[in-house]
Amino acid sequence: MNKQDVKSLSSMPLQSPTYPRGPFKFFDRQYMIIRYTTDAAAIRALLPEPLEPDGDVVAVQWLDLPDGEGFGAYGAAAQTIPCTYKGHPCTFVNQMIVDNCPPLAGGREIWGYPMKHGKPILHVTGDTLTGQLDYAGQRVANGTMVYKHDAFDHGNIARAEEILNRTQVTLKLIPDIDGRPAIAQLVAVNFTDIHVKGAWTGKARLELIPAVNAPFADLPVHHVLGGEQFVTDMTLPYGRVLHDYLAG
Amino acid sequence: MKVEDILKLPSMPAASPSYPMGPYRFVNREYMIITYETDKDLLRAAVPEPLEPNVDGHVLYEWIRMPDSSGFGDYTESGVVIPCTYKGEPINFTAQMYLDDEPPISAGREIWGFPKKYAHPKLEVASDTLTGTLHYAGQMVAMGTMAYKHQESPGGIEAAAKGMTKTQCNLKIIPDVDGSPKICQLVAYNLTDITIKGTWVSPARLHLIPHVNAPAADLPVKRIVGGKHFIGDLTLPHGRVLFDYLKEA
Repeated sequence: MNKQDVKSLSSMPLQSPTYPRGPFKFFDRQYMIIRYTTDAAAIRALLPEPLEPDGDVVAVQWLDLPDGEGFGAYGAAAQTIPCTYKGHPCTFVNQMIVDNCPPLAGGREIWGYPMKHGKPILHVTGDTLTGQLDYAGQRVANGTMVYKHDAFDHGNIARAEEILNRTQVTLKLIPDIDGRPAIAQLVAVNFTDIHVKGAWTGKARLELIPAVNAPFADLPVHHVLGGEQFVTDMTLPYGRVLHDYLAG
Repeated sequence: MKVEDILKLPSMPAASPSYPMGPYRFVNREYMIITYETDKDLLRAAVPEPLEPNVDGHVLYEWIRMPDSSGFGDYTESGVVIPCTYKGEPINFTAQMYLDDEPPISAGREIWGFPKKYAHPKLEVASDTLTGTLHYAGQMVAMGTMAYKHQESPGGIEAAAKGMTKTQCNLKIIPDVDGSPKICQLVAYNLTDITIKGTWVSPARLHLIPHVNAPAADLPVKRIVGGKHFIGDLTLPHGRVLFDYLKEA
């Protein structure tokens, strides 16, 4: 392969790039988000400067992504921390687990989504919207939510759009070949073309189990506030650098 | 988390880094390498300039069992390596790699540019046969078999250890947050502290099945050259930039 073609590759490997160029459109992306209060000092310890904590309510979310352009069908689970950057409200993605390599590699390498490989599953069992997360063979999180109890509340769509429109922030770290940091940035992402097809809220419960390599339980559950379920189409575009730790 | 602590992190996520700082020590790493001859035009297309593929059209198809790897754990890998030259010096180019463990996938891609994907490789002894299989997205894409320890390798463990010091390289591509290339380099490294514990050559066969996302069969098997089986301890250190496409191309 000639040098100019090498420069135009979207990703490794040369013979079959792991992910194509973005943006990436998602269809029927389903969320279950469980919000809970946790320890404020634990939030402060995890949140990278110069982000500032925005309250003591964090969230664990499960996602079912049946149709992601370039990525395929997969599941995800994430832990998010509301924060502010220079007063601007945003959501820091603290941990994320997926069961599919292209979004894992693309997520880390393009935007710095902090993804690891595990087994997140979001499914409806009987009357219960159920999220399970296994890492290295062990259960690390269980979430349950009532199923569409408030199906006629028209405020839910606006609430889901508000969550999806909030700026997401990730800490992108890529080492250089000698082990020193090559990239150390806070990256901001704003979803586009959001089309919420349905949204529900309701009672929820959440259990986090301590595990060293998927430490969701490091932000312990003090009090569960409730759950949000929604289904949406949306586009994940490229991001922008919010803060560069290596500049200057 | 304070800025000085952020800059000391070895990897994402900050809450529990995928991999620690290198170097990485591997104990009882077991290899099955089947060398075969393929189409020279296809080989040329699979090798990035300024590397030159070997003139014999040889490809190494590998399975590697890694039961004890510092920072990474216990996993198995399979993939395609192409012997090449860089400015006339022999060098092995890693073209494709498939493994079943996330930290070495992330560290491999992010530090050295190993072209790793998640899949299910297996290397096992099944009665009289050293057997390698690779499943990608639920389908078998490679099956290699080798007779079990029929003959010690010529030159024994000393020659095998010397062979392992050969320079290896990858094409490291990391996009910027806007999708433009941020890192596009040929990266080289050399294994260190190598102890080979046993090495054998035996008859081998290799079957590659066409699959779009794990296209080992894009370099078709024209003739099997031979099989090699060895076990050893070694260290994978950080590497060096051989060629920077963003500065030199």
